[in-house]
Amino acid sequence: MKPASRFVHVFALSALFLIPAAPMAPAQDAAAAPPKPTDIVSTKTYVSLDPVPRGKEFEAAVVVKINSGFHMNSHKPSDSYLIPTTVTPQLPPGFTMAGEPMYPLGKNEKFPFSPDKPLNVYTGSVTFRMKLTADDKAALGAAKIPVTLRFQACNLSACLPPVKIPLDVELNVAAAGKTAKPVNPEIFSTKPTSYLRPRTRPSGGSPGL
Amino acid sequence: MIKVVKTIAAAAIFSAAVLAFSGCKISVPNGGSTLKDEPDVTFKDLQGKDVSLASLKGKVVLLNFWGTWCEPCRHEIPILIDLQDKYSARGFTLLGAATMDEEKTVDQFIHTTQFNVGGQQALMNYPIVMNTDDIATKFGGLLGMPTSFLITRDGKIYKRYIGALDPIQAQLVKDLESQL
Repeated sequence: MKPASRFVHVFALSALFLIPAAPMAPAQDAAAAPPKPTDIVSTKTYVSLDPVPRGKEFEAAVVVKINSGFHMNSHKPSDSYLIPTTVTPQLPPGFTMAGEPMYPLGKNEKFPFSPDKPLNVYTGSVTFRMKLTADDKAALGAAKIPVTLRFQACNLSACLPPVKIPLDVELNVAAAGKTAKPVNPEIFSTKPTSYLRPRTRPSGGSPGL
Repeated sequence: MIKVVKTIAAAAIFSAAVLAFSGCKISVPNGGSTLKDEPDVTFKDLQGKDVSLASLKGKVVLLNFWGTWCEPCRHEIPILIDLQDKYSARGFTLLGAATMDEEKTVDQFIHTTQFNVGGQQALMNYPIVMNTDDIATKFGGLLGMPTSFLITRDGKIYKRYIGALDPIQAQLVKDLESQL
């Protein structure tokens, strides 16, 4: 038997050994492991003015794109035991927020694990907005406002653990009265009619659990 | 003739190598197995008492990582109650490991939440313990909830199920019965 021919025979016989072995070997996993929560979203932050003059109200936004096949609980999920999506700014000295962040309304959707009860969720792209003001104590020049995005996402069969993602809203603070140019109109020109009615709250706090 | 024997032997060795490196677990007759050992972990129950997995050796265990905040986890609880009802007399137990939850929340949940099991209202009927990050790490990290592990009587992990069990309930029962 030539060496090449011998290899062919070895492979052919190996297949005969392996085919019957396959069904008796219990698979380790009955389903593929889902990705990490941080891998199913992409995030970007925006401001509405550049620069931001002291004393003038501006908006900041967090845009979250959720991968296809996944959803996250809305800010007002269907049941109290579900973990809501939140954005929480940690305002540096000199910044104040009018009320609470504005959260988009979720969509009611049914899932295989909740066939009778629709869940209020976010899918696709969602934008969270905040009305902020830099006062006289805000340092002039480049500034960052840390924001914590917290969410808990699921696909059609499993949920990912809740996660917090730290983000920064970057802006330039200018002296009062300085001309401010509106920027990012694609984010801020639409009136937030499809947002939850914000409750009044003095300013941002800690992200909490 | 010798060449034929050598070819068959080479094929057998090659097949064994393929199976070894492919990650397949082969159940070996006569009680032997190449399945992975369960991690050496000890949970705390809701009264703060230790519950080690090793203490459950001799029973087939379905270790179910779940959370009160997790809708698919809640959805499969009637299936788990039913499994405990049907198989506990045959040397099986479920063990629910509450994950990213507070003990108080879990305690209230298991004592007050009724589930529809075959038309009857029922509370969770199997032991519940609290999961920790360290324990999750020993199980390779828990990315999806619910995640369940079927553990053999001799403490080996037979299979991992990620996601709600209802679509694969028939397979789970088949796997479970194969171990009883």
